[in-house]
Parts: sequence; structure tokens; C-alpha cells
Amino acid sequence: MEKLFIEETEDTPEIILDPEQNIFKISKISVPENALDFYKPVLDWLKDYAESPNVQTVFEFDLEYVNTASSKQVIQVILSLQKVAEKSDVKVRWYYESIDEDMKALGNRYKKLVSVPFELVEIE
Amino acid sequence: MTPELGSKLFDIAYPLFQRITNDDFEYVYRGYFTHNITKKILFLADTNIAKVTYQQSTLQKRIYYIMVEGLQNITRHQDEIANLTTEKYPGIFAIQKNGERYYISTGNIVANDKIPALQEKLDTINSLNQDELKKFHREMLTTGSMSDKGGAGLGLIEMSRKSGNKLLYSFERLDDEYTYFYLQTLIPTDSSFGAADATSKGHSSLDSVKQLHKQMNNENLLLYFNGFFNQENLLSLLAIIKGRMNMPLTTIKVSNVMVEMLQNIIKHGSKQNSSAGISGVFFMGQTGKEIMLTAGNIIKNEAKDVISERLEFVNGMSKDELSDYYDDILLDFDTADAKKTGLGFSDLRIKSDRPLKYRFMNINDDEQFYILQTAVTIKN
Repeated sequence: MEKLFIEETEDTPEIILDPEQNIFKISKISVPENALDFYKPVLDWLKDYAESPNVQTVFEFDLEYVNTASSKQVIQVILSLQKVAEKSDVKVRWYYESIDEDMKALGNRYKKLVSVPFELVEIE
Repeated sequence: MTPELGSKLFDIAYPLFQRITNDDFEYVYRGYFTHNITKKILFLADTNIAKVTYQQSTLQKRIYYIMVEGLQNITRHQDEIANLTTEKYPGIFAIQKNGERYYISTGNIVANDKIPALQEKLDTINSLNQDELKKFHREMLTTGSMSDKGGAGLGLIEMSRKSGNKLLYSFERLDDEYTYFYLQTLIPTDSSFGAADATSKGHSSLDSVKQLHKQMNNENLLLYFNGFFNQENLLSLLAIIKGRMNMPLTTIKVSNVMVEMLQNIIKHGSKQNSSAGISGVFFMGQTGKEIMLTAGNIIKNEAKDVISERLEFVNGMSKDELSDYYDDILLDFDTADAKKTGLGFSDLRIKSDRPLKYRFMNINDDEQFYILQTAVTIKN
């Protein structure tokens, strides 16, 4: 399957979805005005990937800022992983800076709302 | 926390907003100037100037150059003075656009005994015409005798040369040791370049900056922005707040809250007044143990009920209820538009951990001035 790479901009994150390297990562900043359009290709890609995923899929979120518009799309991404989990061993890792209690709280919120294994990882 | 906390900030929001009109903007940073903050200020100012100067890249470069000199002037003076003193008397940097004119202003403390020499430099520069300045500049480069620290004199000459204008300055004595030194450069647009002079109009503009500085000192405002709220400015303001990393916990919290607050305005504001974004005012200041964030902008009358209804709804819930509600909206994919659900307000309230304060003011038959305020408790 073709990998999906979206370069970061000043208000949208870097996206790497690369089954060959087994890297699935959303990082940096996500505060676009129109989050719906931005995350559409990601959700479409995951829908295809769910058909024949890798044996293991570790999906990493390493985000510095997430605005509310993005937070609704990020949960869609995580829910799509539930579908992937039917054929793959899925783990979600949510990184947050130790001093950023809001990112920690958001991670905990997602963890509570989804059924895939969800790990919060504190970074310095 | 008393209910009055921050109410004075409500009172000043509209008068501040009214300071400028149309496509104009003003942006003031007050505090300590680090290299990082200087960089971010330049970026923010440049973004705003690019929006209104369109193809006039010469003008944009000229303004940028003068800003660099002005900011370096502040940090140079700042380096000569003990940190405790610069904390007690914070400096300011202001950029304003007023019609066809741009003003770059700086205010910072200098030791009283440095003033005569500084004044002499300024008067010398102001006495020279463009050709003489050019010659003078060359002389200074070769002899380098004007300033102990190498650049101060040259910077002033360059500001005058690039602006094609006299340098406006003013001294406000603070105590036996220190004085606020205000410096303002007027940069006319290309069409009037070289023709404008430091006139009485210029003086009133310098007075207005001094007045603003006084007000910001009184209310302990750290950042004041009056102009277009748009995504670019939001990102630049965010970068500036991030530059103040001496309180990392608070800084991150303030940034998180500010993103939601300003995006909320971008979504709700009345767009008709400018294509560059929503005209609004945003300021951040410290009141006791709280960092207060206040934003104001114009909305249509129709929007008032919707906004206040959502705010009351969000404010009326307990912490747990709010958290459950938040989960519900996150998972409600039928309402794709987050703006309709109050997700932004809920998020703001959760992050700032207090009810959101707001006020509406009738300003004409069709519109209201809408002020939203929240705060973050300083933690470290």
C-alpha cells in the first residue's frame, strides 16, 4: 500500500503513514481552521489500510497543540484504528510533555472513549 | 477570587479597540526583551505588514529593517542595566499603522547620566539631511568613534536614513537614576517617501504610545494586539507567548487557552469589515496570581443570543457534567461543525478551570461589541 506523507505546516501536523517502514505517526501542531478537510485523506487512507494491515500497528501521536476542531478529527482517526484492530495488533501511543496537563487530559479522555490499547507516554 | 477581578479589563477593552480603524493595526509588547521574543515580534509585525502593503516589498523591507534596529536598540540598552531594574520598569515595542503611515516606537529605561550624550546623538542626526546622513554614516563606519558599544549610533543613523525622516524622541524621568527613553520612527509609504517630516502629528503619535505604555504599566499588560484576528496572527502571538519560557507550566496553559479563545473569535466575528480577518482587540496581563486573557470584537446583533446562550450553558454545568458533555460532542459526528456545539467554549472552560466571563455592549443598531475573558492561574 502507498504510504501517506503530509509535510507539517505552521498550523497542521506532519503525518507519516508508512506500512513498509511500519511507522504511523502524527506529530507537531494541529490547529487548522478547517480540520475536517485536513484529516479527510488520513481517514480515507486508514479505511483502505484496514483491509490488509500489518501484523502490528503502533500509531503514535506526538502533538504539541490540538485545537478543538482537530480534537474531533483525532478521535475519528483513533476510532478508525478500531477497525484496523480487527486484523492487526494495534497500539496507540499518546505522547505529552510532562508540563502540559491539557495534552495529558486530552489523552486520558481519548483513552476512556476508545477500545484500542491506548498508552500515555510522558516526555520531558 | 473576587468577582471584580478583571472587570477593569472589561472596561478598557472597547476604548482600546476604538484606538484604531479600518485596515490599521497596532501591536505592543511590554516586558523583557529576549533574543527569542525579538525574533517572534519581527515575524508577527512582518506578517501584518505583508497583509497591508501588498506588492510594496520595498516598504515592507524598510519597515522590517527599522524594527530590527529599534529592537536591537532596546536590547542594547537593556544589557547595560541590572535585571531587577528592567523588571521594575519594563520596556515596550510598538508598531502601528495609521492610514498611510507606519510608526515604530520603542520605550526603555536608560541611566540618567547617559542622556546628554544620547540626546546629542539624536539632535545631530536630526540636523542632517539625507546626503549628509549618508556621509556621516560612512564616517562613523570608518572611525567608529560614536558609540562605545559599536552600534548604537549607527543604528540611529540607519533608522533615520531608511525612514527618510527625523527621529522623534522623548525622555520621561522616573527617579534619580533612570529615565524612560522613547523613540519613534515614522515611515511613510512610497508615494510620500522623503516628503513627510516630524510634524506635530508625529508628536501626538508618540504621546499616544507613551499613554499606552502608562496604561499597560498600570494594568500590568504584557501583550496588546489590535488589528486583524486571523490564523497567521494567532500563530505569531502563540510563538511570542511561547518565547516567555521562564514559567513553562503557565506558558503552555496560556497558549492552549489562547488558541481556543482567538479561534473562537475568528469563527464568530463579523467578517464584513476586512478581508484580512476579524478586527478585534486582544490583551494579556497579570493580575495578582492570574494571567488574564481578554478579547473583544464586533458581532452582529443576531449572534449575541446564540453566544450568550452557549456561554451560559457551558458555565452552568459542573465539572463532571462538562466533562461528560465534552465526550458526547467529541463523539457526535452528525454535527460536523464544532462551532455549533460549544466545543470551543467547553474546552476553554475546562482548560482555564473557571466560568467564562463575557460582556456585550451596544455600539450601533446592528452590532455589538463582544468581550470574552478568561484567566490562567500562575503555577510555577
